Amino acid sequence: MIKLKINNQSIEVPEGTTLLEAAKQLQIDIPTMCHLEGTEHFTSCLVCLVKDERNGRLMASCSMPAMDGMEIITDDDECRESRKASLELLLSEHVGDCEAPCQLVCPAHMNIPLMNRLIAAGNHAKAIEVVKRDIALPAILGRICPAPCEAGCRRKQVDDPVSICLLKGFTADQELEKGVAPVQPKEKSGKEVAIVGAGPAGLAAAFYLNKAGHQVVLFEKNTKAGGEILQIDETVLPAKVREAEIGAILDSDIQINYGSTIDQLEFEKLQQRYDAVVLAVGASTDQWKGYGLNLSKTGIEIDKATYQTSIEGVSAIGNALRPSKLAVRSVGQGKELAFILDQLFKTARLSAYPSRFNSKFGKLQEPEFAEYLKESNDSERLEASRGKAVGFTMEEAVAEAKRCLHCDCRNPESCKLRELSDVYGAEQRRFQYDDRFVIQKEFAPQNIVYESSKCIKCGICVRLTKQYQEAFGFSFIGRGFDVKVGVPFSESVGKALEKTAALVAEKCPTGALAKTDAEEQFNE
Amino acid sequence: MTEELQNIITQVDQIVQQKGKTKGALIPILQAIQDEFNYLPEEALRHVCETTEITPENITGVASFYSQFRMQPAGQHMIKVCVGTACHVKGAMQVYDAFKRHFNLKGQEETDAEGKYTLEKVSCLGCCTLAPVVQVDDVTYGHVTTDQVTSVIHDFESQVGKVGKKGKFRNADGSEFQGEIRIGLGSCCVASGSEDVKKEIEQTIEGTGINLQLKNVGCVGMCHQVPLVEIIDEQKQSKLYAKVKPNEISDIINTHFKPKGLFDQLKAKAYNFLEKVQTDEVWEGVDRYAIDVRDEMVSSFLDRQLPIATEHRGVINPLDMDEYRQFGGFEALKKALQTDRHEVIQTVKDSGLRGRGGAGFLTGLKWELVEKENGDKKFLICNGDEGDPGAFMDRMLLESYPYRVIEGMLIAAYAVKATDGYFYIRAEYPLAVTRIRQALINCREQNLLGENILNSYFSFDIQIYEGAGAFVCGEETALMASIEGNRGFPTIRPPFPAQKGLWGQPTLINNTETFAQVSYIIRKGKENFSGIGTDRSKGTKVFSLAGKVNRGGLIEVPMGITIRQIVEEIGGGVQNGKQFKAVQVGGPSGGCIPASLYDTPIDYQSLIEVGAMMGSGGLVVLDEDDCMVDIARYFLSFTQEESCGKCTFCRVGTKRMLDILNRITTGKGTKKDLEELKYLADWTKKGSLCNLGKSAPNPIITTLRYFSEEYEAHIEGRCPSGKCTEMITYSINDECIGCTKCAQKCPVEAIKFEPHKKHSVNMELCIKCDACRQVCPVDAVVVE
Repeated sequence: MIKLKINNQSIEVPEGTTLLEAAKQLQIDIPTMCHLEGTEHFTSCLVCLVKDERNGRLMASCSMPAMDGMEIITDDDECRESRKASLELLLSEHVGDCEAPCQLVCPAHMNIPLMNRLIAAGNHAKAIEVVKRDIALPAILGRICPAPCEAGCRRKQVDDPVSICLLKGFTADQELEKGVAPVQPKEKSGKEVAIVGAGPAGLAAAFYLNKAGHQVVLFEKNTKAGGEILQIDETVLPAKVREAEIGAILDSDIQINYGSTIDQLEFEKLQQRYDAVVLAVGASTDQWKGYGLNLSKTGIEIDKATYQTSIEGVSAIGNALRPSKLAVRSVGQGKELAFILDQLFKTARLSAYPSRFNSKFGKLQEPEFAEYLKESNDSERLEASRGKAVGFTMEEAVAEAKRCLHCDCRNPESCKLRELSDVYGAEQRRFQYDDRFVIQKEFAPQNIVYESSKCIKCGICVRLTKQYQEAFGFSFIGRGFDVKVGVPFSESVGKALEKTAALVAEKCPTGALAKTDAEEQFNE
Repeated sequence: MTEELQNIITQVDQIVQQKGKTKGALIPILQAIQDEFNYLPEEALRHVCETTEITPENITGVASFYSQFRMQPAGQHMIKVCVGTACHVKGAMQVYDAFKRHFNLKGQEETDAEGKYTLEKVSCLGCCTLAPVVQVDDVTYGHVTTDQVTSVIHDFESQVGKVGKKGKFRNADGSEFQGEIRIGLGSCCVASGSEDVKKEIEQTIEGTGINLQLKNVGCVGMCHQVPLVEIIDEQKQSKLYAKVKPNEISDIINTHFKPKGLFDQLKAKAYNFLEKVQTDEVWEGVDRYAIDVRDEMVSSFLDRQLPIATEHRGVINPLDMDEYRQFGGFEALKKALQTDRHEVIQTVKDSGLRGRGGAGFLTGLKWELVEKENGDKKFLICNGDEGDPGAFMDRMLLESYPYRVIEGMLIAAYAVKATDGYFYIRAEYPLAVTRIRQALINCREQNLLGENILNSYFSFDIQIYEGAGAFVCGEETALMASIEGNRGFPTIRPPFPAQKGLWGQPTLINNTETFAQVSYIIRKGKENFSGIGTDRSKGTKVFSLAGKVNRGGLIEVPMGITIRQIVEEIGGGVQNGKQFKAVQVGGPSGGCIPASLYDTPIDYQSLIEVGAMMGSGGLVVLDEDDCMVDIARYFLSFTQEESCGKCTFCRVGTKRMLDILNRITTGKGTKKDLEELKYLADWTKKGSLCNLGKSAPNPIITTLRYFSEEYEAHIEGRCPSGKCTEMITYSINDECIGCTKCAQKCPVEAIKFEPHKKHSVNMELCIKCDACRQVCPVDAVVVE
């Protein structure tokens, strides 16, 4: 037996045990990417470096055998820096988007490609569910939103952007037509939140707080909910649509007090009475200065990460922060604040809305249009034949949804590169000095897609296809920086993966080899 | 089935039958296929997979890994422009560009429109003293300049068809021995035309009745003087002629030897007289180059040296076994076979010999570790995969001292109980392969290899494995992967080769030079070896001295000699009276040692202390005209291409460092870039899997340490030595005499032809090929 220490804990392991395996026995987690249990170790990614304290030497824990007397440290500053450095090097050549540009541009960060795929597949019930994860008022926004997402849409480079906004409105209309079931939270938290103002921001916050099981009371100065939305012309936003959608939100267990003006005394009472107070009061904020709130040049001053005002327990969202015509931003803020408060109630700690690592590469190059169109078609952009206020027909919606290029990665949740980049704070652009690789997409049976530009050359697919004795399998091709993983003799990816398609797609540590129907974000 | 396909299948079947059906036969099979078809046709590879145990994954991975293999047909003739370190500092890239222009090749194109010539860069042909070097098929051209492209091609075409017609070899019989002519046939000598000189000698002495022994000898080391001809006359006086041209032969011979009969003498005189009249050549033409061994220049080149691995240099015929025996050859083997193996190991251990491949591990200790291991088989490998650009020690040793290397291997094999031996020799050294192949045959005939060697109980044989072009295969785990028919991916150690090496068996791998020093230690005793050198680095080290030095060549010096002594005394100082700037030691893994450390003694320890390493022993001298940032960029472009592509730090790290150096040398660098360069150098060193990656940043680290002001200057937009083409301009100053030479040489008409007027350079057209500066007789071309 070999005796060693890992993070100051002693352990005995049989000869030939790797440091990674030994650490695992002590429940010490070391990150890996190229390592796959059941295949021979390869030692390529080097995110698993650990340090022997006796000599300061760094070594790959996935393949270094434990040796007598070692004093291993798995997670000090130097180990962490080594991981960050290797991740940043890998990211410097990683050409792919974790999330589609449209989603990144959308102020509410809606999962647009997933919605498009669901509409195209006729799964409208799921489509609206996905939309409503981020946007509480999709029928309204489907008519009034200036659609920044469409400015970000890659299809714009090829011809015209996908009509995302109309598609979103379409899914909402589908649900409204059938009748929206009131939101029934699984359990009530017992926490109560007062929201001042029932405009887009206040309604969105109310919707998501209620969904999370918190009691919401809205205080609205008008006799109707909707705030500035009420000013919008009938020809753009029919009152019927507006009332149906807002009504559906208020139909849930949400109280609303119309005609309530909040003066300083009331404001203080709310603070005492409720677990949190949310100010979604719209653009006129002067009165709040007198109530002890700090104001900025544009409105109520907040901590941008948490929406908290200068008074503890009071947060602010929407046009109260800065006047704008972008309702989708207010709606997005309502969602984010609801999440922050939910976390606060659960953990008693105030933390920022989580922002995840996103690999991005920017614009497509001309030869890449064809690659992206492989998952789409060459139809022209559709507008609603019945007018935007009415929206798409079913046929129009399905046809338009099929124009989506699906720029998003199919493994946004399981990708180890993304996960670790988040953990170690890796920056993608740090070492990007040279031109990026040109993207190629190859599709194969069993819904497989291979994008070599996302490959980190870990060789797991090479080892697996060899282990399962594929006739062709994958092979390393070339050497040095230019090494590629590809199929021998220019055979197709399908030929390479006759037996192992699903397995290899599952084990690829990034989205280079993936199932197009993986839909890792299908469930929340 | 088409006829072409049928032909491929027939050929492949034959090759497979010859080479075998195992994975280990893969690289030899690919080499044979390429020999046959001049590239690797996909149909051939598919057929190999169908008929052997080799898989498509295996064959694709391997064929695309080694630079020797081509997947596309090449032209009829290959033009290889050497871009090794010595060639690089003497303008190899400009020569390459000139060839590209000549054949009108755009972008990535390699083959000319007619499919006649394919142009490629090679990392080092090992003829560093002739830099820049270009090889067209088997013909090597040295000191090539940008304006000689046409004449090189012209000369080559005049040679085509003549190859293979060997001059008549004339053997003298012993009784009538009048003297001996020794002619160097190392690669440098051959490249410089020694074959032609040899033919000329044969023709000259034929019919004169002069009875001479014409003898081929290995490399003398004085590669800066090639071709070398040494004359030993009847009085046993030796005279050495350097840089001999064929038309000088008859004069040389007539000076030393008298034709037999009176008539012959007269005939010879008349002939010579006529020739002189016709060619108007005078005797001084040769005399100028004649050098005597007692001359100061030669003695200083040789006196500082101490030949052990290169013992009897210039005296023995590489393949003449009797001669090797006369000089004590195979006595060490006999002695070892009569000694207990542990005692042999102890002797080597006590001698202090350390591995000459670069890392400097104690050789005896390595042997001890291998001896202790048990396995069904035990392998011994001679690592002759000398991939460092700017190094040619292994090539010289293999070409010139094959028996000595073999003897060292035999002693080692006996000591560690090895059963099977391999010579791993890089593909770029065909002459070394030929010599070793013949030497092995001769050894088998003499019972020096095979069963019961020299009637002992010890049996052992050696086979040759030709590398296929990958620097990383000098790393021992990668080398073994390559013999096993895999991509040259290094693996993590442990397990070390001593425990689990080739085919999973215990394996001893030593460098060529290490083996070449073993017989001396056994024969002369450990004290005779350990008495040489420094405290921790014993014995001698072979270096290839090249670059901007007057007398380059293969040298063997005692450990502890200073860089100054090597460059100034052996090398005769920097060429053309320029200022010594630095010496690059150890190739891509080594570093640049600046003039301020000129007196650094050369041993393992002190080189590491100054940030370099012994490497395998390339020494490239740099002068004031060399840009240190460009040198760092040069080495990184090499390591980046040669990285096996496995671990992140080496694969991507070297590329990103190269990106930064490219920015800096094109005037786009920033201060931030320098910080990131240091960061990447630091992490690539700490994080890489194998020693290639770990040492790849050394050229950057040492230049940053000793020449930081040059990096700063580039950031400010200046290349102080005028090397970085994107940062310099060409102009012509008032010294111009209007001779028009520059205008004639300019390949792009950037200089207008204006006789007797001051010329000027149109920078919009100029491609910075440097031809004008090189040709200007009055140094009027200014580079800023």
